[in-house]
Parts: sequence; C-alpha cells; structure tokens
Amino acid sequence: MAIDDIINIQNVSFYRDDRAIFKNLNCAISTGKITAIMGPSGSGKTTLLRLIGGQLNPHEGQIRLFDQDIAALNRKQLNQIRARMGVLFQSGALFTDLSVFENVAFPLREHMHLSADELYNKVLLKLEAVGLRGARDLMPSQLSGGMARRVALARAVAMEPELILYDEPFAGQDPIAMAVLQRLIKDLNSAMNLTSVLVSHDIAEACAIADQVILLGEGRVLVQDTPAALQASNDPAVKQFIHGEADGVIPFHFAAPALQQELRGGSE
Amino acid sequence: MINLIADLGSGLLGKLVRIGQALLMLLQATIVRPKASSFSRLIQQLYVVGVQSLIIILVSALFIGMVLGLQGYTLLAAYGTEQAVGQMVALTLVRELSPVVAALLFAGRAGSALTAEIGLMKATEQLASLEMFGVDPLHRIVAPRFWAGIISLPLLVAIFSLVGIYGGHLVAVDWLGVYSGSYWGNMQQAVDFNGDVLNGMVKALVFAFLISWTAVYQGYTCVPTSQGISAATTRTVVYSSLAILGFDFILTALMFGGTV
Ligand SMILES: Nc1ncnc2c1ncn2[C@@H]1O[C@H](COP(=O)(O)OP(=O)(O)O)[C@@H](O)[C@H]1O
Ligand SMILES: [Mg+2]
Repeated sequence: MAIDDIINIQNVSFYRDDRAIFKNLNCAISTGKITAIMGPSGSGKTTLLRLIGGQLNPHEGQIRLFDQDIAALNRKQLNQIRARMGVLFQSGALFTDLSVFENVAFPLREHMHLSADELYNKVLLKLEAVGLRGARDLMPSQLSGGMARRVALARAVAMEPELILYDEPFAGQDPIAMAVLQRLIKDLNSAMNLTSVLVSHDIAEACAIADQVILLGEGRVLVQDTPAALQASNDPAVKQFIHGEADGVIPFHFAAPALQQELRGGSE
Repeated sequence: MINLIADLGSGLLGKLVRIGQALLMLLQATIVRPKASSFSRLIQQLYVVGVQSLIIILVSALFIGMVLGLQGYTLLAAYGTEQAVGQMVALTLVRELSPVVAALLFAGRAGSALTAEIGLMKATEQLASLEMFGVDPLHRIVAPRFWAGIISLPLLVAIFSLVGIYGGHLVAVDWLGVYSGSYWGNMQQAVDFNGDVLNGMVKALVFAFLISWTAVYQGYTCVPTSQGISAATTRTVVYSSLAILGFDFILTALMFGGTV
C-alpha cells in the first residue's frame, strides 16, 4: 500500500542550546514527487534532513517516515528504515580511504549478500547511470567537485531506495555540473520511482525540477506551493527570496545603530 | 564567595559529566563481538598508529640513551663508580623515561593525528553517512583506532628502552671506555623483571589507555569546523600530556614509593 505522504512532520520543535532552530514546524512530503525545501543558509536545512534521517530527535512533536514515528524505533528498526532511504550529504561524504568503486559498493556489501559478479555488475550499472563508469578506480581525492557529487549520488541510490534526500546538491558547482546534476535528479526520480527531497538555496535550479517547494524561515514553514505559484506570489518574504532581492522583509543588515552615529570624525 | 564556590562546583560537575560521557562512548565502542573484518581494520590502524610512530621513537630513544650515558658517567665518575653506569641508564629508562617520554611523543605524533582524522571524518559527514548505512561509526572508526593505540604504545615503550640502553652503551662503553662487561653485568644484577620491567610496562599500558581514549573522544565530539578540529587536536595533546605526567607520579608512588 502506498502512502500519500512519505514524510510527515508534525509540530516539530528543535533547539540548539537555547536557540530554537524549528518551532512548531509542520509539513508533509508527497510520495513520488520532487520536493524542494528552501531557506537561507543557517535556517536549519541540514538539521531538518538529520531529523528526517533519525540522526537527531525532535524535542517536541513527531516525524513520521513511511508512516512510522522514527523517534520511537529501536536501532534495528531504524536501520531497516534507513536502508529504504538514500542521503546525498552536502559535502558528498565519500569515504576518503576507499576508491570510487568501493564507495558505491559499500552499502551493498553491508546490507546484501551478493556474489562478487553480482556486486561488480550492480556497482558498474550505478556508476554508468551517473556517467562515471570510467572513474571506478580513482580515489575521492582525485575527483572534481561535480564528479564527487555524482559518485555520492550513485552510492546513495545503490540500495535502490524509495526516498532520497539531497543536501544542497548544487552548492559550489559550475553551471555544467549543475545542469548534469539537475538532469540526474529528475531522471532518477522518474526512472526509479523515487521520492526526492532536496534542500537548497539555489532557487532557480531547485525550482526548475521541483514539483513542490517548501520555503523555510524563522523556524517554520513560510509557504508550501508549486514553483509556478511561488513565482507569481505577492507575499513580500516569498518575493524577496524567490527574486533574490538583497533587502526586504528578511533584512540584509545585521541589527545595528544608524550608520551616521557610528562613523567617526564627522561634524556633530 | 558563594558564587565562586557555586561556579567551581558546576564547573567540576560539568567535567565529571564529560568524563562520564567519554566513558560511555568508550564502552559503546569497545563492548561488541568482533567480526572477521574488524581484525583487518585493526591491522591497518596498527600500521598507521604504531609503525608510523616508530622513527620518532627510535631517534628520541637513541639520543636520550646517549645523554643518560654521558650524564651518568660524569656523575658516577666523581665517586669512582662509573662502572655502574649501565645500571643507572637501564633503571632510569625502564622505570621512568621510556614510558613517559614515549607516551608524550606518542600523544603528539599519533594522538593528535587520530583526533584530527576522526574530526575531519565528522566534518565531511563521513560519520553521519556511515550511520545512514546502518554502520555504527563507534565500532567501525573509533574502536580499531582505540585498540591500535592500546597495543602500539607498550611495544613502542619496550623498543624505546632497548634502543636507549644501546645509546647509553655507545657513549659510556664505546666512547668513554667503561668496561662492556660491567655495563651489562651491573645492569643484569640491578634490574628486576617484576619490579622494574613489568611496572614500566604497566605504566605504558595506562598511558596508552589515557592517550587513545582522549584522542578518539576529542575527535568524535569535536565541533565539525576547521577551528573545532584544531581546538580538539590541541586538547588531545594538552590533556593527554597532563594525564601522563599526573598518572606517572601516582603510579611511581604506588610502585616504587615504599621500597627505598
Ligand atoms: N552541531 C552543532 N552544534 C551547534 N549548533 C549547530 C550544529 N550544527 C548546526 N548548528 C547550528 O544550527 C543552525 C542550522 O544549521 P544547518 O541546519 O546546518 O543550516 P543550513 O543547512 O540551512 O545552512 C545554524 O545556525 C548552525 O550554526
Ligand atoms: Mg546545510
């Protein structure tokens, strides 16, 4: 039975020290879609992915993943759920002491009992899907940023997950790598019947492939809608973020006294 | 005044809590049924932690042995007892200098590297990514490094003593002309296996535990930024050096305090 919402975040609050990163966060992510979660740097996007992956627990509220409360699971159940999801970390997170091939083989070796030939073929197919079959013997340190991201992508989908989480997949990529990644994310989503969640602050790139956009701000969801609807929105905060205006509801200046008062040597 | 006491109390409490957490982490990492693959990971870490520390241990031991030979000879010659220099060199090394100096070098060479490596793995999300693959980073990353430290340091200490005694021989016998037979003979008579060699090894084992524990804990719990990693690396060297010197005094008092 397929559930409509693969992830359901209900009244979640999360604090770092005494600072609320999320306060009563509510949102749902529909199965089979590409959902982009957007917000400025430091708004808690990575934290949200950690919460979804069960690596952090919310202080209040509940996160339901595949219709189960992840905070209530024991270690074994949590690992079973994690085997159904892939994560592409912000930094790629390739294991630096393993080759490209071994990185992609890692989850397969851990979870499946495959023959050497089956394993080899599976890894090669995944690498082929991201166009890096020829790079299988390289070490992570020999890859460009875009290539590393693609290897990490191959590794994230190696277990054929139902859900994949992307943390800033476009950050720091050149335009060509960016386009390649966009196409891969979109193609993989339809080819493998995936649900994709990508957190990003690259508005144009994320909007171009997303079915749904969730805009985070001030620890909660500002708005959730389709990219087209957001482009047309009149909400000042949405407009500021979508159109990349430097100043607006979300201020460019950190709180400070007026400039005139702070400059030295002027006439009184 | 009350505030001061309260601050001190809460500071102390915080430290105790931290030590408790570190102990818990260590138990989680080490109490586990080993797999076949854990063994090859241990071998790999023994190479990185132990074998790669060998050069600095060998060179330092040789020089310290030579200095001991020279100082010992000058001191003893004043009383006409320079034939006892072998005994002095050996006892100083085995009881005290080998465990302490090797441990301090080990903390600087291997402990700091362990912290930095684990911290960098945390900062590049490799630890988080292991977790998402259902692999506990405490078992996969922390445990083999911890055990490698525990095994390596006592061996390095033994090597330190041997090379140091050879260095003393170089100076006292080959250079200053002490009779080789009395260098070795006095040493053999004076050094007691249980009382000296074994006690020195117990020190080495305690220091190995302190360094490895500090290093993996600092790496695993560091703030995953470049400043965070550098601060954690510094803490590893400072804390483990202080712990080595403090525990050396306690252990020496326990081992040799009553037997003058
Ligand atoms: N391990 C941590 N300890 C303390 N604060 C953290 C930690 N990780 C993140 N934060 C803080 O939480 C906030 C949200 O971080 P993050 O989720 O990484 O934001 P984003 O991914 O949107 O840039 C930031 O202000 C960050 O400083
Ligand atoms: Mg982030």
